[in-house]
Amino acid sequence: MLQEPFAVGNSFIHRIDPRFRLISALLYSIVVAILYGFYPLIASVVISGLLIRTAGLNGKAVLKRLALVNGFVLIFWLILPFTAKGNILYTIGFLNIYEPGVVLALQVTLKSNAIVMAFIAMVSTMSFSTLGHTLNSLGLPQKFVFLFVLTYRYIFVIEQEYKKIWRSIKIRGFSPKTTIHCYKTYAYMIGMIFVRASARADRVYRAMLCRGFDGCFYTLSEFPSSSRNWLFLVMMIFLSAFILLMEFCFYG
Amino acid sequence: MDDSVSTDPIIQLSGISYSYPGESPVLKDLSFALHKGERIGLLAPNGSGKTTLFHVIMGLLAVSEGNIQIFGRNIESEKDFVWVRRKIGLLFQDADDQLFSPTVLDDVAFGPLNMGKSKKEALFISRKVLSFLGLSSFEERITFKLSGGEKKLVSLATILSMEPEVLLLDEPLNGLDNKTRIKLIGVLNSIDVSCVVISHDIDFLLDCTDTIYTLRDGGIEKDTTVYVHSHDHAHMLGHVPHQHE
Amino acid sequence: MHISEGILTWPVLASGTAFALAGTAVGLKKLKTEDIPKTAILSAAFFVASLIHVPIGPSSAHLMLNGIVGILLGWAAFPAIFVALSLQALFFQYGGITTLGVNTLLMALPAFLCYLLFKPLIVKKNHSIALAAGFSGGAFSVFLSGIIMAALLVFAERHFFGVSMMVLAAHIPVMIIEGIITMFCIGFLKKVQPSLLGT
Repeated sequence: MLQEPFAVGNSFIHRIDPRFRLISALLYSIVVAILYGFYPLIASVVISGLLIRTAGLNGKAVLKRLALVNGFVLIFWLILPFTAKGNILYTIGFLNIYEPGVVLALQVTLKSNAIVMAFIAMVSTMSFSTLGHTLNSLGLPQKFVFLFVLTYRYIFVIEQEYKKIWRSIKIRGFSPKTTIHCYKTYAYMIGMIFVRASARADRVYRAMLCRGFDGCFYTLSEFPSSSRNWLFLVMMIFLSAFILLMEFCFYG
Repeated sequence: MDDSVSTDPIIQLSGISYSYPGESPVLKDLSFALHKGERIGLLAPNGSGKTTLFHVIMGLLAVSEGNIQIFGRNIESEKDFVWVRRKIGLLFQDADDQLFSPTVLDDVAFGPLNMGKSKKEALFISRKVLSFLGLSSFEERITFKLSGGEKKLVSLATILSMEPEVLLLDEPLNGLDNKTRIKLIGVLNSIDVSCVVISHDIDFLLDCTDTIYTLRDGGIEKDTTVYVHSHDHAHMLGHVPHQHE
Repeated sequence: MHISEGILTWPVLASGTAFALAGTAVGLKKLKTEDIPKTAILSAAFFVASLIHVPIGPSSAHLMLNGIVGILLGWAAFPAIFVALSLQALFFQYGGITTLGVNTLLMALPAFLCYLLFKPLIVKKNHSIALAAGFSGGAFSVFLSGIIMAALLVFAERHFFGVSMMVLAAHIPVMIIEGIITMFCIGFLKKVQPSLLGT
């Protein structure tokens, strides 16, 4: 269920220390989230696109991820132009299309695509276990990192258990309908998932105790240092500053 | 116990009782001893308390009555059990309970790191154990993407990396294919530790252990009677002269 | 139900993130080490269960389940939901990196309030009171999530009013179904494993 289609690669971005990538992604996304102006927004879409290219990612796979995001954006296009009142751009029959609505929808589209592309280029290009080590070495609370890594790990086990229960429900002739019986079945299934999950949690904790777990987490990871990392970080800071400057120059 | 064993028992349980909340006791006034070098098989029906017995030895379940001695030490507090867990390795029935780290190497190194080993030492031991089990190429593999047999071998590695003196194996052959079975049996026969093995597989127990015990009415009994018996069995191509392993 | 990347303005994002981080920090602080596996595995269960689609008439919706997560986890609902949403953002690009805080807030705050308001009733011996509390808890959490989401949208941009009303309307059928499912789920847990509910 959880796939990492972008994690494997040997591009310039893949070779940057994941810690530097994560920080750059965070900084850049926050800057883009602040933007309003069209020129800086277009610039950020271009920069994010270039990052995707630099990471050498499969265009089709990236577009598939973006399709989901743009599904949500579409809702804004369907509503905003008609509800965000202001100057009328066009009139179709009795419907008015307002300028502020179109402007807002366009802003949302550019912003969300720019941020998601940057995220894919810089963060989705590391494997999950790397990300876990990265969060740890960036000094996030150990409890949090452990919770994060463990949740990910057991999603796979619980998905298997869910599928087993679902199959056993289906072979007994269940078909989803809008009825109380149906909702009850779903509720029992979810209840069962929680019951099994908690029994599993007990056993996992016991197994950890058996291996000497005492509340501390140690990690093996070491990240080799390289001047490339700093180069990348400085570049991302520069680009973020550049679009921010554009925003202030053009739109105050 | 066997007369030839002269050393003091490494695990000694006397008069142990345990019951799950609100249920009748699973273990009742149970006494048991394991000596150095002994290999004991535990063959008993489901629900007779085999897993419970293991969890009691590891201090995962607290007994209501009785006394536990490990390597001659009285074990009472959680702190004592922390010490026990460094000496005794428990292999869980379900490998998914045991493997919780993202990668194989992380998981195998978890025990040694907890025991206070340095990163370098932990890596060294983990790699040694993995190569002993023929899993050297598995280091960076993602634990949940392993097959059932691979998971079982890796969880054995996570135990062996703590260099235990005793192994408690809870149905180690469960769900394994024949190839992994043979490999696991080979590994178990080649390591020099005392062990207690729970299994429903008589052939395996006869192969890997010296004595077979059973659990009955909350107590433990040695099953030493030897019965002469023969099998009739049927399978395809049975008319062709052949031999079974 | 979540807010995607690029929709909210920075003051809304910043304050949402601040609240969510505060909740998560308290949740982590109160989380005992021995409860981490339980929280993580329930959070994984929440992640999986929230991908289940249930039918509503001709259409279907996926469940939110924040009510039941709140009831099961209390304060730990904050870190659990934070983690589950990070994973959704990471693997499906649902939600996002800058909106992680607001999305956590709009799921976890109702979850936590559900714990405060309805948990005491759910642990009661009286079965009908417990079931009624289950229904109310499930429905309440979804409704409150909808309200928070609508409010965040309007705070960010007054022109989003139309969108936010749509969002709120879309929450109403889900709210009823979540109520029903939470109710049966509580009934199930009380029968099968009351210890999960702390009774």
